[in-house]
Amino acid sequence: MRRYGGFGLAFLILAAVGLWGRDAGVPGFVVPLGITALFWIAQATSWNLLSGFSGYFSFGQAAYVGTGAYAVAVLTGRHGVSLVWSVPAGAALSGLLALAIGAVAFRLRSLRGEIFALLTLAVPFILAAVASINRTIDGGQGTTIPLPSVPGWIDGFPQLLFVLDAAVAIGALAVAAAVQHGRLGWGLTAIRDAEDVAEGIGVGTLAYKMWAILLSGLIGGLSGALYALQIGFVTVEGVFGLTIPLLVIVMSVLGGRTHWLGPAIGALLIVTLQDRLAASGYTDWNPIVLGAVLAVLVVVAPDGLYGRMRARPWAVIGALVVPIVAGYYIPYGDLQNWVLAGMLLAALVAVVPARWLPARLLRPPRPEPVPAVDRPAPPEPGPPGETVVECRSVARYYGGVHALEDVSLTVAGGELVGLVGPNGSGKTTLVNLLSGTVRPSRGTIAVAGQDTARLAPHRIAHAGVARTYQIPRPFDSMTVRDNVAMAGMFGRRRLPLAQARAEAGAHLETVSLDRLAGAYPGSLNLHQRQLLEMARAVASEPRVLLLDEAMAGLNPAEIDEAVEVIRRISAAGVTIVLVEHLLRVLNQLATRLVVLDRGRVLADGEPQAVLADPAVVRAYLGRQTRV
Amino acid sequence: MTIAQAALTGALIGGLYALMATGLSVTWGVLRVINLAHFAMILLGAYLTYQLATSTGLDPILTVLITGPVLFMVGAAVQWAYDRLHVAEFTSLLVSFGLLIIAIQAVTLIWSADFLRMPGDINPYATESWTVGRFVFPVTTVLAFGLALVLVAALHLVLRRTFAGRGMRAIAQDRAVAAAFGVDHQRLSLVLGGVAGASAAAAGMVFALTNALSPTAAYEWFGIVFAVVILGGIGQVVGTFAAGVAVGVVSAVVSAAWSPATAPIVLFSAIVLALVLRPQGLFTLRSVVGAGR
Amino acid sequence: MSESLLEVRGLDVHYGDAQALWSVDLTVGPGETVAVVGPNGAGKSTLVNAIAGLQPTTAGEILVAGTDVSRLVPHRVCASGVAIVPEGRRVFAQMTVADNLALGAYRPAARREHRATLARVQALFPRLAERAGQLAGSLSGGEQQMVAIGRALMARPTLLLLDEPSLGLAPVVVDEVYAAIAAIAESGVSVLVVEQDVPRALAVSQRAYLLSEGRVATTGTPAELTDSAEVRRTVLGL
Repeated sequence: MRRYGGFGLAFLILAAVGLWGRDAGVPGFVVPLGITALFWIAQATSWNLLSGFSGYFSFGQAAYVGTGAYAVAVLTGRHGVSLVWSVPAGAALSGLLALAIGAVAFRLRSLRGEIFALLTLAVPFILAAVASINRTIDGGQGTTIPLPSVPGWIDGFPQLLFVLDAAVAIGALAVAAAVQHGRLGWGLTAIRDAEDVAEGIGVGTLAYKMWAILLSGLIGGLSGALYALQIGFVTVEGVFGLTIPLLVIVMSVLGGRTHWLGPAIGALLIVTLQDRLAASGYTDWNPIVLGAVLAVLVVVAPDGLYGRMRARPWAVIGALVVPIVAGYYIPYGDLQNWVLAGMLLAALVAVVPARWLPARLLRPPRPEPVPAVDRPAPPEPGPPGETVVECRSVARYYGGVHALEDVSLTVAGGELVGLVGPNGSGKTTLVNLLSGTVRPSRGTIAVAGQDTARLAPHRIAHAGVARTYQIPRPFDSMTVRDNVAMAGMFGRRRLPLAQARAEAGAHLETVSLDRLAGAYPGSLNLHQRQLLEMARAVASEPRVLLLDEAMAGLNPAEIDEAVEVIRRISAAGVTIVLVEHLLRVLNQLATRLVVLDRGRVLADGEPQAVLADPAVVRAYLGRQTRV
Repeated sequence: MTIAQAALTGALIGGLYALMATGLSVTWGVLRVINLAHFAMILLGAYLTYQLATSTGLDPILTVLITGPVLFMVGAAVQWAYDRLHVAEFTSLLVSFGLLIIAIQAVTLIWSADFLRMPGDINPYATESWTVGRFVFPVTTVLAFGLALVLVAALHLVLRRTFAGRGMRAIAQDRAVAAAFGVDHQRLSLVLGGVAGASAAAAGMVFALTNALSPTAAYEWFGIVFAVVILGGIGQVVGTFAAGVAVGVVSAVVSAAWSPATAPIVLFSAIVLALVLRPQGLFTLRSVVGAGR
Repeated sequence: MSESLLEVRGLDVHYGDAQALWSVDLTVGPGETVAVVGPNGAGKSTLVNAIAGLQPTTAGEILVAGTDVSRLVPHRVCASGVAIVPEGRRVFAQMTVADNLALGAYRPAARREHRATLARVQALFPRLAERAGQLAGSLSGGEQQMVAIGRALMARPTLLLLDEPSLGLAPVVVDEVYAAIAAIAESGVSVLVVEQDVPRALAVSQRAYLLSEGRVATTGTPAELTDSAEVRRTVLGL
């Protein structure tokens, strides 16, 4: 709760400015401009909760605004219900709508990012149509909202609205900050970076997306309900129009989508810009400027301003404050123009190449504090001999290609099983089946006694299955340590972040990556990324670890290192299925070899025996080999 | 209006929907670009038709001979820009949205936001119709249907029977292997962008014949066009035509039987159902699900 | 100088910062069949993809009939007479067999004679004529392999590249595939076949290279390499 005190303070300051600012000499434009700015801050933040954090771009923000606004319009405007009821009702309805959208959209098998965007685009259209036809809602005429009565100690309605909007906006920012730093935020980031990998390490992707869309809908609707009070006359075009989604997308893309403060920065800049364009008579250029900003930004600076501002905070603050202070004292032009000039200058300073700025103004980013390394409790090794994995007559078809046919396999606790076979024999398909990435066309699979054929991959992960990918797939926007911590946080043991981070250090030591803990995956070479895959897989303390061609592309020295790592993991009691084609590696590690050939099990047993089997040698070297 | 007449008129108007949707669908399916600027090109086509007809007295239908080539080049240029900037898939949605906004505002600045309609002496087609039996065929809808048929037939033949068409279908599935056999995807994408632009010109011309123009008309087309694209199967030319007709019929019948504003609800439900039950499109004849490597 | 149809000189290929090929030298003469064998991860596919233009190279030259194709844009490489049967077939799954084959003849020189070529391909693989209207993705692995080889032949190549043609196929099917390869070689086309199945590859070729960890480990005639302890050691990893 301590860290959210800052939000409370911010709200109190804003409330004071709104209620008593006029007496204190605060300029008159602050309240009306502030109402608009706070509305957009809330909307952009609401949008970003789902779309920025998870990467599922919604084009339907207007649906929430419209629902909230019409709840107030119908309940208060037409039936005189008190705002105390109609505003929360608007928020609740909007939340329900969000859940409905999510329930449909997130379950579609064919869902791609574009389809989600189009579906959400359609929703406001539908709602607008419903509102237009339906006389009890609107019927095409619009609804007037009567001004509520204002308590005597408040100067006027705008001041009250300013305070209400400030509460919603600050509340939205607080929620976004809480989400970002909590489990939900980490899960959403993982979904954005690599959704199926996230699912594979135990993130319940459907549930997380539903939470995100629910929060987005609630905030959007709440703010939309207040919007009805702001505009006073609610029409279908006014609240369901495309301007709203366009603006929130531009604001969030401009400000930065990965941080809770990004959309607010974008909102402030765009609102001020729009205000000044209107004031100087250039309203016509408004959409053109916005369209251009969107098109250019997406191509040139898709990450937005916030990250760059954070890297050089003093330069940015200076660029912002100096013109505003100057404008306050120099009697030339409206103060708002100086404010806009300050914002634009700050934005410019944030994005220019570093060498254009004096070095004094550039402060290097604060290094992340390194948590103490915490030795994790050794995993309870299952009783040796207990069956950990059981496949029965499993088959998988892709169109006309039989990738796997009638595969039956049992793996006991503590074993290190090598899964081998020529290219195209079905090894990776089998791993995909075990981890739940694909479903078997036929047959059953059980992990630790649980039938996994129907389980979502993240539940299979919770049952104790962890895997690496042949081509490493790290979460690019997280550090190496955090990549590993994710498995601890979302895996079987569901650790809190701090503990997962601490244990991650130990796992990184096991794979000899500890000195790169603070680096980002983008700067790692292939070998290091493969080690990261292994560390992440091990961090969830799985019952069975699936290593899919973990040595692909490595040179002999690196291979030896990797073998050592696997030995250490196995010695700790983890059951391992190792997909490999390097027989010398398997010789050193495996307690058992299973040979696949053209989708079927060719041999299964003790490595020496299997390797001496003529059928196996022929499968590897070719049918005509003289054995 | 009887239901039967509504269905018939709806089917013909479906030709206009198909005409609007085909260019978008093909560039989406083949080039993986969702070009919202396509709507801007339809809008420009409509306004240019209006302008040319009213300023020069040229027969409005013939204006397409000018707007077609012009928008062909615009479409090709936009596609070229997307290729140069490596804009595809999701980014194309955002970038083209930005372009659409700019275009709509430019149209507003040049022609104003007022509704514009070609006067009767310049545009005699708006009120003409043919009567066969007890059915009335408005000339403009017949024209739309005819143009759509021509476009679909031509595209279908090109895609199915010519080498260029095969090349286009190949790059949609495996661009690298297609290149190994000599398919130059940049050149094909320019041509495809241009064809989409030209089809937008035709769609705009037909729209201008029957409707009053306003800059925000572009937004009103979104719902119908995306319904047609998704129901018809992204990139499926014949499917898009069939979906256009179906959407036209359903919209018209629902409007006649209940009310015009109910149609979007029906359409949206249809899209959702289609995505759940048959993601490759209602009218796609064959596709291999789950195939590939 | 250009007695060789294909001459690879000092070829380096990187994937990001990982080096996959180290100064590889290789030649294929006109009408010759050459095999490249080696364990997985040795870089065989990388080599073949580089020759076909599917993989950018970092250094070195790839000369096909005297022209350096390594600097060309991918879609111009096939004009030199190179055609590839990629690893894993990579047929166009949503197109019919007939369309897949036709696409093979896309380049202008092949397009002119595509009907005649099609007849020859169908003579070689009668099953492709039967299944002409079927979507390629619905075929079995072996049939897809025939489509992929047929597609490459439609390009009327002077150099045919085959990347692991036996991959994931039943022995009987592999027999068919290799019989076809032998017939193709006999018609005068130079063939470069990359294989895991060492005896098969050696049986159809006049010369062979052993690739290991991105480098050419040894080269020789099939007789020299059959039963070679080095080959067995390298490929099996024992």
